[in-house]
Amino acid sequence: MDFDFSPEEQAFADEVEQWLVDNHDPVVMDPTRENFTQLADTPERRAFMKKLAAQGWLGMSWPKEYGGQEIEGVYEYILNEALAKHAAPQIGKGVGIIGKTLIRHGSDYLKKEFLPKILNADIEFAVGYSEPQAGSDAANMQLKAEKKGDGWVLNGQKIWTTSAHFADWYWVGARTDPDAPKHSGISLFLVPMNDPGLEIVSLPTIGKDTTNQVFFNDVYVPDTQMVGEQGKGFQYISEALDLERFTMFTLSPSTERARVLIEWAKEAKRDGKPIKDDPNVRRLIARIVTDQAVAKGLSVRFVCAARKGGKPPTIESSQYKLFATQLSQRVCQDALDIQGAAGQIREGQDEGPIRGRFEGAYRATVVETIGGGSSEVQKNIIARRYLGFPKNF
Amino acid sequence: MDLEFTEEQQMIKDMARSILDEHSSVDAVRELEDDPRGFSDALWKQLGESGLLGLTLPAEYGGGGQSLLEAALVYEEMGRTLASVPHFVSAVIGGGILAEAGSDAQKAEWLPKIASGESIFTIAWLEPERGYGPVGVQLEARSDGDAFVLSGTKQHVYFGGAADQLLVLARTDAGVDVFLVDAKADGVSMRQILSQAGDAQYRVTFESVKVGAGDRVGAAGTGWDSLSKVMHDGIVLLASQAIGGAQQALDITGEYMKVRTQFDKPLAAFQSLAHYMADASTNIEGGRMIVLEAAWTRAQGRSIERLAPMAKLFCCDTYTEVTRTCEQLWGGVGFTLEYDVQLYFRRAKQLELSWWDTPYLEELVAADVLD
Ligand SMILES: Cc1cc2nc3c(=O)[nH]c(=O)nc-3n(C[C@H](O)[C@H](O)[C@H](O)COP(=O)(O)OP(=O)(O)OC[C@H]3O[C@@H](n4cnc5c(N)ncnc54)[C@H](O)[C@@H]3O)c2cc1C
Repeated sequence: MDFDFSPEEQAFADEVEQWLVDNHDPVVMDPTRENFTQLADTPERRAFMKKLAAQGWLGMSWPKEYGGQEIEGVYEYILNEALAKHAAPQIGKGVGIIGKTLIRHGSDYLKKEFLPKILNADIEFAVGYSEPQAGSDAANMQLKAEKKGDGWVLNGQKIWTTSAHFADWYWVGARTDPDAPKHSGISLFLVPMNDPGLEIVSLPTIGKDTTNQVFFNDVYVPDTQMVGEQGKGFQYISEALDLERFTMFTLSPSTERARVLIEWAKEAKRDGKPIKDDPNVRRLIARIVTDQAVAKGLSVRFVCAARKGGKPPTIESSQYKLFATQLSQRVCQDALDIQGAAGQIREGQDEGPIRGRFEGAYRATVVETIGGGSSEVQKNIIARRYLGFPKNF
Repeated sequence: MDLEFTEEQQMIKDMARSILDEHSSVDAVRELEDDPRGFSDALWKQLGESGLLGLTLPAEYGGGGQSLLEAALVYEEMGRTLASVPHFVSAVIGGGILAEAGSDAQKAEWLPKIASGESIFTIAWLEPERGYGPVGVQLEARSDGDAFVLSGTKQHVYFGGAADQLLVLARTDAGVDVFLVDAKADGVSMRQILSQAGDAQYRVTFESVKVGAGDRVGAAGTGWDSLSKVMHDGIVLLASQAIGGAQQALDITGEYMKVRTQFDKPLAAFQSLAHYMADASTNIEGGRMIVLEAAWTRAQGRSIERLAPMAKLFCCDTYTEVTRTCEQLWGGVGFTLEYDVQLYFRRAKQLELSWWDTPYLEELVAADVLD
């Protein structure tokens, strides 16, 4: 048993931490953007990703023949948590989901075309699985792909494509075989985001950034841009979730929020008395740090399961995600309760406690228990795989 | 980072499991409820002979010299089997305080006997209408020349009826001190108080009980520090015990849900019920992780000032919550004495209220974080 990183891993963690401190840039690293800090959506943030690439920190776990270092995924976990802690963009999408899927299933052409650009942080992707009728039931996607000559014509709609308004490429699932069973009629495509047939409509959220609806009007995609085999798209999507265990939902943003709350609570006063002496505040804070330690334990558990290889750590990651996202919301809720009336002051104004940090975070964290497999979906998984309950919901 | 047990740790866990399976069946547990002694000699003997009793006591005094991590594995098994046995009060708290603060003579005299099971220690700590902190210790130890005279009342003295030695927390001019008192000494009287969990706990009255200066454990005024230190280890074990109980309650409930049908479906096919169970299992796994981390951290020689109270706080909370849920899931039969789930339900709450309760633990954590 060992709860510490190995000396090599710890040295890497220290190196990354120091590098992030040295390269601190408030424009790139703005924690008040909450979940959206993970995106490389501005020129400054894209430049930052190029710096990460120059460090050799993108694709560390990839095979050497594709420019990786073939080192353990735990290093990517360490890197991603550190990035998240500093509110810097994260590596999960391109290096993780898309890169790893291309390495396993992509044609030589796609590998040659995309892998070097991912490693150099030359391109950003948007992921398009969700549709109005395909949310938790992602396999229900209906975006139509019809064969035409040496390619496909895509028509229909995606929703919740978060990065569509700045990304270069669209990683998108479409139904290539309407008569096949739901899970086996889907194929994956790479579509240039500037295709004239794509119409991107912004969808503002109660968080501080927007996501998008994307409409496809006769978008032509050549066969060469289909990923892997026709009809295997949903299989690849599910497999990518298993391959990409180390850079999933990060814990450090909520750990940081708890830290910020505690720092504030140590100094704040109400009616001339220190807030921290209020027994209810003490109780809430004790619970937050306790649950934060439990969440960390659950993350250690899934990292250890993931690095053992073999069976994907589905139960471990579901239990971790369920617990950590609910906690993340509760930290914000408790923070507002502790702050009382002033907690409602809209983020960004000096009159609010911590400039309204938790007013904003309270809104922004709502999505955490919805996206990436909702809490209910995680519980379904746990019920089936951990408890051995029948599969009928 | 890895969560593998060593071969030796796995062996210790397996040994605990097989001994407890043999001697602490549910029938045996039921048999012992409200029993004045509260444990079976056969199990006690096995624990002594196998080395599990003295597991964490120093090897030079007949103990196993193992760390809190090994002990936590044993305590999870004790929780799973609801083992009723004075292991905690005698070996962990009693032996722990002696090992921590006792004189060489006290250690040499008592630790080997505690480890073998020949002597049973318990602690007389809590007092009626007083709390868990040091101010709660008001039993008077009046100094009388070289001796002390103890007067007052203690409550929640677990296994008091079977103990031959009491470690009594008392107030002296120096503060809080711990005294070693023979359970049969003149002026000591006790009666059993029934508890929610049906354990063997006693109210003990001290009427001018005389003890020698050599019966104080540790230097004058250091009693609370000794207790607190030993308690930080102890509550990690109780947290582990809570997880063992919670897991077993979850397991038997999950099995029941697969076979009990209503509306032509097994209960397990009702999503609302399955989700309660998914939440419960998540909290149990999380609790197990914080126990392991606390125990491992302690085994590394690092401070568990914050981790230990967090572990008991979370795990006992989980145990009560999980068993409350389980009661609901069994329906009417869960309310009957005949079914086993109630055994866990009652013990869960009792464990949460005992050995530093929720408010006390929350304050320990809050003070460490905020002050
Ligand atoms: C800000 C934001 C960004 C996103 N970014 C992306 C992105 O970049 N790319 C992308 O593809 N998707 C993205 N998503 C979509 C996200 O993955 C979906 O919102 C999510 O899968 C849930 O689907 P839904 O919104 O349709 O809700 P629904 O599936 O309609 O769920 C509604 C409610 O029903 C519950 N529910 C559904 N099925 C079950 C069931 N079987 N059992 C019990 N309860 C159930 C859900 O848990 C939820 O509480 C994003 C979403 C948001 C809000």
